[in-house]
Amino acid sequence: MTMPPFLRAAAGPLKLMLQDRLAVIGLCVLSFIIVMALFAPFLSTHNPRHINEIEDGSVLTRGADVWELSESLGPLALNDAESMGAVALVVGRQGTVWSREGGEWVRVDVPVEADLNAVALQPDGRALVVGAGGTVLQRTGTDWRIIDAPTPANLQGVAWIDAAAALIVGAGEEIWRFDTATGTIEEIASPVGRGFALRSVGLDSDGTLLAVGERGLAVRYDPATNEAALERLGSSRDLNHIHIAPGGAALVTGERGTLLRRDTPDAQWVTDPAPDTRALRTGWIDDAGRAVAAGRNGIIMEWDGAAWQIVPTESERHLRALLIEGDSWLALGSDRFVTRLAPPSREHWFGTDHLGRDLFSQNVHGSRIALLVGFLGAALVVLIGTNVGLIAGYYRGRTETILMRTVDVMYGIPFEPFALILVLLFQPSLLIVILAVSLLTWRTVARLIRSQVLSLRERPFVKAARVAGASDLRIMYLHIFPNVMPLVFLELAIIVGVSIIAEATLSFLGLGPPHSISWGGILHDARLSGAWRTAWWWNLPPGIFIMTTVLSVFFISRSLEVVANPRLRARQ
Amino acid sequence: MSRRSYLIKRVLQAIFSLWIIATILFFLFRMGLPDPTAALITEGLNPEQRAAVRAQFGLEEPLWRQYVLFLTNAVQGEFGTSFSYRAPVSEIVWERLANTMILMLAAIVIAYAIGVPLGAWLSWRRGSRVDTAGIFFGLMFRSAPMFWTGMIAILVFGVMLSILPTSGMRTLPYDATGFWDKVLTLDFLWHAILPVMIVALYYLGSPLLIMRNTMLEVYGEDFIEMARAKGLRERDILYKHAARNALLPVVTQLAVTIGLAAGGQVVVEVVFSWPGLGREILNAVRTSDFPLAQASFLIMAAFVITLNLFVDILYTTLDPRVSFR
Repeated sequence: MTMPPFLRAAAGPLKLMLQDRLAVIGLCVLSFIIVMALFAPFLSTHNPRHINEIEDGSVLTRGADVWELSESLGPLALNDAESMGAVALVVGRQGTVWSREGGEWVRVDVPVEADLNAVALQPDGRALVVGAGGTVLQRTGTDWRIIDAPTPANLQGVAWIDAAAALIVGAGEEIWRFDTATGTIEEIASPVGRGFALRSVGLDSDGTLLAVGERGLAVRYDPATNEAALERLGSSRDLNHIHIAPGGAALVTGERGTLLRRDTPDAQWVTDPAPDTRALRTGWIDDAGRAVAAGRNGIIMEWDGAAWQIVPTESERHLRALLIEGDSWLALGSDRFVTRLAPPSREHWFGTDHLGRDLFSQNVHGSRIALLVGFLGAALVVLIGTNVGLIAGYYRGRTETILMRTVDVMYGIPFEPFALILVLLFQPSLLIVILAVSLLTWRTVARLIRSQVLSLRERPFVKAARVAGASDLRIMYLHIFPNVMPLVFLELAIIVGVSIIAEATLSFLGLGPPHSISWGGILHDARLSGAWRTAWWWNLPPGIFIMTTVLSVFFISRSLEVVANPRLRARQ
Repeated sequence: MSRRSYLIKRVLQAIFSLWIIATILFFLFRMGLPDPTAALITEGLNPEQRAAVRAQFGLEEPLWRQYVLFLTNAVQGEFGTSFSYRAPVSEIVWERLANTMILMLAAIVIAYAIGVPLGAWLSWRRGSRVDTAGIFFGLMFRSAPMFWTGMIAILVFGVMLSILPTSGMRTLPYDATGFWDKVLTLDFLWHAILPVMIVALYYLGSPLLIMRNTMLEVYGEDFIEMARAKGLRERDILYKHAARNALLPVVTQLAVTIGLAAGGQVVVEVVFSWPGLGREILNAVRTSDFPLAQASFLIMAAFVITLNLFVDILYTTLDPRVSFR
């Protein structure tokens, strides 16, 4: 079978490539990266643009100068905690209950799956846990009992009135009095009755209970009269939590940094200026004047006697409960939080960036732009360069002078600054980036091909073709071109590497194709965020990918050099 | 063709190239920025001042008049006032160019001083593991983008070990009366280590590989056989006979590299906050400071062309075999 000369010329380099070990390695690596680019959506573990969130039973422990992240209690968010003496209980989503026994946290099985929102303890270890769907659980010893609720309300707060009764409040303005002796619930009429959510309730020092909720709502329940009355605390923001110390000091926390404090039972409520305006979900105060509040994004504030101070925390988790006992201060959370700057883990192989986006998926998708610009740019460069070289070398004379002077002029233009100006003046787009990458690089190809053609055109087979009456075009493209093919291949390989680096450079400077994910772009984000100085997992992989891709192309081109330069072949 | 007429021809060619580049630049900027003074509104310039700037660049006149004005100004070295620095453009550009050149030349010198002997040595040990490792690392640093190697170097030497400064040319604040006053200090040397090393590592690959490959070709020549027959020591053959004759392609590559040095390595300047010309162009175009951007690019191109010319002429003197074509 006779192959056309064009194909035969293309097969030669391929055969040589397969003989060189480094070139084979290069080919393997390059095909791996091409496969990665083609199947990027299937290979990536996440959507590269998606901001990843995770739920976790997070525990922060107050250390010497920072609240440190401790071992998590399970994968589900923790909503409330209370301790009394040696007993401590933590409740959370989907029926999560943890009990501290002898310093160790033990997961307790309870007969419900509902989200549990609040817990209240008695000194003898009896506990009440309330939650979504009218869930009321009573613990006596180790025995858990489900109490029938009158409605499937979303219950948010619970507090003991005395040893035999407790008050439960809910998101539909429910105020329920629970009697342990009879095991029944009595509904108390709310003074407002407009369905405002009550979020938390606490036992005051005079024996009454104070519940707080939506839009600054505060309701005081007097067990003596069994009636609830409206009270004004001086805030109309949503209130999330109330904590009252035995001596009467009290702290209410709420949305947008709301902090309401009362130092003694008879004192007025004061609104403290907060150093941060994010939602505060929980607070704690004692009669000695110590207080702490915690909320979303790992915000913890401590009262220094005169003002609230933000204290450093190790993580941006959403905190919902405080568990304070002597020197052991714990803050618990965390409903879904953005996994920012997470180091590599099983979930995120290359970690996450400052917005919680998965870096492995970004790197996988980044191969697409690199290869697209790399190969398209290189094809364009070789197309222009080869033709200019062929025409200049074949026709000589004035054509050659004009073309080669143009090439000389292009050698006077510095590549990187020119590409920058081009992209900056004409809004970054894929087309402009490819143009910027290829508009100057063809100068080398044109020079090389021309010098090769210059010697080829004097060879007998060209003369013979001319004598046989072949047209100029036929001689150029059918007789001379196959002979410069090896050189074209070599240049193609080298320029692919150059284009990939050029695209990465433009993207690194923030001038890449817009809305695209690229290796250079990942490094651009890393540099811009400033976090790259600590987050090594962010800036290491993209560079390694660029390097391996370009290196594999170089390895391939090295084997082609032998084709283009027969003197090298003789040496081997 | 005589040497003299060759020189004249080369100089004329260089001037021609510069003119073409200036023309391309002019039209590129007029297409990309139809009203370059638009950026001045945000700077708080009142309409009269803006009109004065427009008059200076002849922006009210027809395009060909603007073009002629641009060329006359450029020939006279009159590039106007930078919008953002409020200082004559030429002063800024020359200082930045010097900063770029000192970084690039230092790196190139180091790369060739290490690369050439190393390449010769590798060719002598051809086929060994050292040889493979040498080729591999040479190509590796050539393949790694410099902004990335720079970031990694900053991460390791600046942040983790904190032994080297990572940005700028000097510790701030400093006062220096001139360029040499600024540069001839230990503090400058200390700041230059990381950027120079990163650029040098990138450039190291080409002298290394070219030297190695040419040496391998030279080993096949008759005079090497002759030297062996005379019973000379291998090392003498390597460095005295072979290396000398293998230098030419390396020198050619060196010439091309130096010729393009003024273009600098923008990303290295950006990563290390090195106040060079490439970084200045980037900032100038970003802030629409078009007098500065235009002049920076033109002077950079002029410098590249002059260096190319200079290197070409030097080359013809070095290698008599090069014909004056």
